[in-house]
Amino acid sequence: MEDQEYWESDPELLDFDRDRHIYYLLMMYQLLPSPYQGQEINRLTLAYFVISGLDILRALDRIDKEAVINWVLSLQAHPRNDSTLEKGQFYGFHGSRSSQFQSNNNGAAILNGSHLASTYCALAILKTVGYDLSLIDSELLLKSMKDLQQPDGCFMPIHTGGETDLRFVFCAAAICSMLGNWNGMDREKAKEYIVNCQSYDGGFGLIPGSESHGGATYCAVASLKLMGFIEEDLLSKKASCHIINVPLLLDWSLQKQAQDGGFQGRANKPTDTCYAFWVGGVLRILGADTFINESALRGFLSTCQSETSN
Amino acid sequence: MNRGVEEERARIPMSQRPEWADIRPVPQYDGPNPVVPIAYTDEFSETMDYFRAVYLADERSPRALQLTKEAIFLNSGNYTVWQFRRLILDALNVDLHEELHFVDQITKDNSKNYQIWRWVAEKLGTQIASKELEFTREIFSQDAKNYHAWSHRQWVLQALGGWENELAYCDELLEDDIFNNSAWNQRYFVVTRSPLLGGLEVMRDSEVAFAIKAILAKPENESPWRYLHGLYKNDVNSLVNDPRVASVCLDVLLDKRDCVHALNMVLDLLSHHHQPSNELKDAVDAVSPDPKPSDSNFAERVCSILQLVDPIRASYWRWRKTSIPAQD
Repeated sequence: MEDQEYWESDPELLDFDRDRHIYYLLMMYQLLPSPYQGQEINRLTLAYFVISGLDILRALDRIDKEAVINWVLSLQAHPRNDSTLEKGQFYGFHGSRSSQFQSNNNGAAILNGSHLASTYCALAILKTVGYDLSLIDSELLLKSMKDLQQPDGCFMPIHTGGETDLRFVFCAAAICSMLGNWNGMDREKAKEYIVNCQSYDGGFGLIPGSESHGGATYCAVASLKLMGFIEEDLLSKKASCHIINVPLLLDWSLQKQAQDGGFQGRANKPTDTCYAFWVGGVLRILGADTFINESALRGFLSTCQSETSN
Repeated sequence: MNRGVEEERARIPMSQRPEWADIRPVPQYDGPNPVVPIAYTDEFSETMDYFRAVYLADERSPRALQLTKEAIFLNSGNYTVWQFRRLILDALNVDLHEELHFVDQITKDNSKNYQIWRWVAEKLGTQIASKELEFTREIFSQDAKNYHAWSHRQWVLQALGGWENELAYCDELLEDDIFNNSAWNQRYFVVTRSPLLGGLEVMRDSEVAFAIKAILAKPENESPWRYLHGLYKNDVNSLVNDPRVASVCLDVLLDKRDCVHALNMVLDLLSHHHQPSNELKDAVDAVSPDPKPSDSNFAERVCSILQLVDPIRASYWRWRKTSIPAQD
C-alpha cells in the first residue's frame, strides 16, 4: 500500500496531519532554532528524535542517509594511542562537538567526553538508517562501557562521573542489544539494581527509593526485556515473573491513563504526550497494550497536535 | 537560564574585552555535512569559542573560571564545562561555600545538575546537610513535586543525615496537598529507612491509621491507597487480615463516593482469599449502576462493576475476571 493510502485508510488517523509533521521534522533536520542551543551537549539526541520521527512517518527517504552516517561516525571517540586506554575512559560517542576536542600536545585537560546516552542515540540512528552495526569498532566500546558499571549494578554515563540511575542502565542494555554483544555489562548486577528500583506502588523510580515515574518504569522494564529477564508477552501466556511484581506494575501502569485519555507519568500529575510512549511502551512489553483505551488516547493526542489553519 | 534582552545588549563581546586580547578563539568544527545544526546566537558561539581555547590550553585561571560561569549560564547541561570548572576550583583553592551558592542558583533555573551539587556537598561534608535540606524545601515551596530535587533530598538524608524532622515535613506537605504523590513517596522513604524510627513494622500501625484518614477524606486519591497497600509489602496476608483495610473499603462504598480504588482493593483482598462480610457484598452491589451485573461469584461481580464505574479500563477489568483464583 502506498504511504499516503496507509495514512488515509484509517478514519481515526484523518485528523493526524502527517505531511505537516514530516515538514516540521525536516525543518528541524535542516536547522534547530536558537533556543535549542541550551541543549547543545545533547545534539545527537535531538537528531535521534528527528530521524526516528521521520522513520515512523515513513519519510526517511527525504534525508541524506550517507550524510547522517558520516556525521554520526565522526562523533565516535577513538583513543589517541594505547596509553590513554589505561585511564579507564569510555570510548563511545559524543553527543556533540562541545565534548569532543581535537587532540593536541598539552594533554592534561583533554578528556574524552563521550557519553552513554549519546552512544545509545548514535547506534539507534545508525540502525534506523540501515547502517550495518557490525562495522562499528565495538570491542573497545563495550569493554570500556563495562567500566562505567557501578558495584550496585547501575551505570555512570561518563567516566568522569555523573548521576547514576536507570536511564543509563537502559542505555547500556540497548547498546549491548543493538551490538549483539553482552560483554559490555554484568546483566545480573543490572537486574538487581532494577529490582531495587521497584516502588511500593508497582512502578519504578530512577533510583531506589525514588517516586515511581513513567520514564523510569520504561527504562526498567525495557532493560529487563532486552537482557532476557522478561518473557515475551508475559500476560497472554500467563507466565509468572518472579523478579518483579508484575500484577502491581500492571495495575499502576494502567491507572496512569487519566480521564482525558492521556497518560500521566506519576499519580496525580497532569497527562503528557511523552508518557503515551513511556507507559504505553511498558504495557506493550508486558503484552497488556490491549488494555489501553485506544480511542481515548488518540483523542488526547490529537488535542496535542498544533492547530493549523486551512 | 533566561536573560533579558537588555542584559544581552549590555554584554560586551569577548573580542572587545582587553583582558582576553591574548586569546585566539577556537571555532567549532562540525564537519562537511552536519546534521541538525543549531542556529547558535553570536553570544553562544563566541563564549564557546573562547572556552575551547582555554580548555585546549588547560588554563586554570580566575578568568577561565569566570568564563566557565558564562558558558554554564548558556548551556548548564554541558558536563565538559562543569568538569573543567571543577579542575579550576581545585587549582585555585576556591571557597566552596561560594561555589555551593552558585550551583544552587543554577539549579533553581535548571533542575538537572545535582551531580555537581554532590561533588561540592561531599567536599564540604555534613555541615551543609541542613542547608541543602533548606534549599530543597525552598524549591518545593514553588514546585512540590520536583523530581530531581526529591532525589537530591533523599541523597542528602542518606549521605549527610538530618532525618529528625523529615516525617513532620511530609505531614506538612500532605496538609498542603493530600494528592502530592511525591510527599507520599517521601513518607514511605522515611518510614522504611530513617535510622531514628525503627523501620516499617514498628511504624506500620500508625501509618495505616494515617493512610486511612487520608482515604476517607478523598477516596478518589490514588496515593493513600497505594501507600496503604505498600505498608504491607512482602506481607500481603497481613493486609488481608487487617480488619481496617476491608473496613475502609466498606466505609467508602457506603458513602457512595468515588469508589474505583475501593473496589480495586476489595478485588485484591478477594484474590488473596479474603472472606467478605455480607455487609461488604451489599455495599458493593449498591454502588453498581443499572443494569446490575449478575455474576454469582462475588469477585467476578466486582470486576463487572468495575467495568461499569471505570469504563476507561473496562478491558482490564474484564481480563481481571479471568485471573481470579478459585473461590470457595
